[in-house]
Amino acid sequence: MFNLAFENFNEILYMDGHGIYVWSVYSIGTFLIFLSFLIAKKSIRDIQQKIKIKNASS
Amino acid sequence: MLMLGWTWGLLFAPQDAVQGNSYRIIFLHVPSVIFAELIYFFMAVCALMHLVWRVKLGAYLIKSAAPIGAMITFIGLLSGSIWGIPTWGTWWQWDARITSTLILFIMYLGILTLHGSFSNLEKADRLMSILVVIGVVNIPIIKKSVDWWSTLHQPASISVSGGSSIDPSMLYPLLISVIGLGFTLISLGILSSRSYIFIREKNKRWISENV
Repeated sequence: MFNLAFENFNEILYMDGHGIYVWSVYSIGTFLIFLSFLIAKKSIRDIQQKIKIKNASS
Repeated sequence: MLMLGWTWGLLFAPQDAVQGNSYRIIFLHVPSVIFAELIYFFMAVCALMHLVWRVKLGAYLIKSAAPIGAMITFIGLLSGSIWGIPTWGTWWQWDARITSTLILFIMYLGILTLHGSFSNLEKADRLMSILVVIGVVNIPIIKKSVDWWSTLHQPASISVSGGSSIDPSMLYPLLISVIGLGFTLISLGILSSRSYIFIREKNKRWISENV
């Protein structure tokens, strides 16, 4: 069950011609999930900054 | 945990006898569509909380979960389309499963657009909750579409009651990927809802005191 399914790195990339489909799906998926985390973190930082400025001015 | 499931599935799971290596898309596609439906179901529960008991948090959670649901449904549709090219010879087919999942994606976008189009946020919350409750009818349609209609999409390979037709060497990394994506989306949901609660409650004293 834990034997590598491929002989070398080129086989991992190529996957008998299916590598382009497999790796593009995982690249896009990982990018979108990662981007969502960045947007959420930035949104929290921005609103906390606004609240801090508001607190300081009042 | 998600990386463990993906690494196991991509590098260590054996090649499929029929589909070759293209089946490895399953470790992203299946978890995505499972959570596309579960997030909508969660939103429907929140919508009922908001409409029946007037719990504001229900609306806040819907507004926070909808972009995540849209993103994960998009990943599910995209991965299915790309998987379809080597497997079915086409990237799109208007069959019941795929079309009902596309409707789910449009519902997510519709919910976000509807909420964004009102300046009165309380009214927007109420209308958004009503739309979420109406749209929940699509979830059992997606689930049962492969049984009710003759579709290009294959029937479910795993069921809660009836076991699985997938070999354990492929099933275990799939289950780990599902659990891993679940934890990832829960973390994203916590971040996203925290941010939206700050936005909506920014003028309240408890927010000022806790920032």
